[in-house]
Amino acid sequence: MSSSHFVPAQWLPKSNWKTAGLLVPSLLLCSVVSAAPRRQEQHFKVAAHPVITIHNPNGLITVKAWTKSEVMVISTPASDRIEVDAEQMGNRVDVSTRELSDSVAPDDMRADFQINVPEDAELQIHNDAGNVSVANVLGDMNVETVAAGVDLEDAAGYLSVKTVGGSFTCIRCAGRIEASSISGNFRLLNLRSYHVWAQTSSGNILFNGEFLPNGTYSLKNYSGVIEVRFSPGDSFDLSATSLKGKVNNEAKLTPSPHQRHFMPRWGNALFGTFNEGRAKIEMTSFDGTINILKRD
Amino acid sequence: MATITCREFLSYLEPWMEGERPQDAQAHVRTCPNCSSVIKDLEMIHVEARSWSASERDAPERVWTALRAQLEQEGLIRETIPASVDRAQTAAPRAGWFAGLFPRLPRPVLAGAYLAALVAVAFALSGPVNKRVNEARWLKGTQTSTSPLSAQLNFAEQNSNSYVTRSNPVVAASLHQNLAIVDNYIALCEKSVSEEPQNEVARDYLYEAYQQKADLLTQMTERGENVQ
Repeated sequence: MSSSHFVPAQWLPKSNWKTAGLLVPSLLLCSVVSAAPRRQEQHFKVAAHPVITIHNPNGLITVKAWTKSEVMVISTPASDRIEVDAEQMGNRVDVSTRELSDSVAPDDMRADFQINVPEDAELQIHNDAGNVSVANVLGDMNVETVAAGVDLEDAAGYLSVKTVGGSFTCIRCAGRIEASSISGNFRLLNLRSYHVWAQTSSGNILFNGEFLPNGTYSLKNYSGVIEVRFSPGDSFDLSATSLKGKVNNEAKLTPSPHQRHFMPRWGNALFGTFNEGRAKIEMTSFDGTINILKRD
Repeated sequence: MATITCREFLSYLEPWMEGERPQDAQAHVRTCPNCSSVIKDLEMIHVEARSWSASERDAPERVWTALRAQLEQEGLIRETIPASVDRAQTAAPRAGWFAGLFPRLPRPVLAGAYLAALVAVAFALSGPVNKRVNEARWLKGTQTSTSPLSAQLNFAEQNSNSYVTRSNPVVAASLHQNLAIVDNYIALCEKSVSEEPQNEVARDYLYEAYQQKADLLTQMTERGENVQ
């Protein structure tokens, strides 16, 4: 980019420095304008429960709900070598980033998005690197990334998140949550979800939310720490097993009246009921630590 | 004729079962339904025990030898033979050791105990052998199912590596880093499974690690193809 701002000295007539003084800034301005990110704003009228798909290799994707029956897509590509396509097919809006030439440098393959959708929209997002942030969307959601982190706030519906190394944070989420990763850390905070299934290999999992009656909460990793916070009023059946790691527990558990657990032959395990045992919590680790701690 | 009480009859019980049946005891059994019932039950047990004893052949010599060796090895018994003991006696240690163990027990009890001992011996002897056989079987089963998988994944990995080098460096680095994590878990799980072949938790983690690797290689290949 910087090379396009350079004007060779031999091109300048030595006798006419005034002309050069005018020409150089003009050229610089032109080159800057042509290389500037092309911000693009598009609007699509949609009916109830629209579906929005986003495919982007790299960048920041921010999705927020609003009260309009409309999808607004503001895209900012990092270079003019890529283009953002946004098109509507019925009640579906597809947004994707594509290369304009065969040899696009990885750094140029980046586009940032700010997207507003109706509350009941369904989202399907693929973003390899960067970050995905979604707030106040109540429809189903499927997010897949490699290195990008995923942040959901006040989401509901069926939330499915899959990353390779990206972290996942879910704050005040409801509905059904399924999350998997290899090395990503999970933070599930102030949830009101009746079904949580979270699995990461080397990442940590923190669950600090409500255990709804008849809810099931399954947290699994290979190494790392699984931590669950509970309040005195919570009610759950708990099973925690770490094959080669530790299980630390602050809950006063009683033998489960609902089901008979057999102590596994391998590893450290803990089974029991807290209060009436209305929710079901299962935590499993290979050589990680499992902490069941009182909520502050 | 003077009759006896139920409490007094208890002292007649053992001679009764041996065939000594005094008249006052017989009179008591005739008039007392409770003691009569007890006698009937004992006789039934006696008959049943006899039939067990008759149907079970004596345990083969190797069972006693193995049992003895096992118990000695575990330090539960120790052979202490005084120097003065005749060598002829030491040549038949089983008779002296086992026969001396229950000289005063009633025969039905002995028969039952003998049967229980047989079962225990069978379990004790077959346990380690079965464990080794089962472990080998589990290990072989796991290896049989994972070896071709491992070979296929390694082959796929070579292709994926060439694909992914052309994609975004951040993405490529993340994929490679996580592939290394999964490979490490596979190695650790395989080690656990080889140490404890019947550990189903370790096996589950091993299979899951393979699944993760397959998913990861698929992603790498897809991204490589997209880049192409």
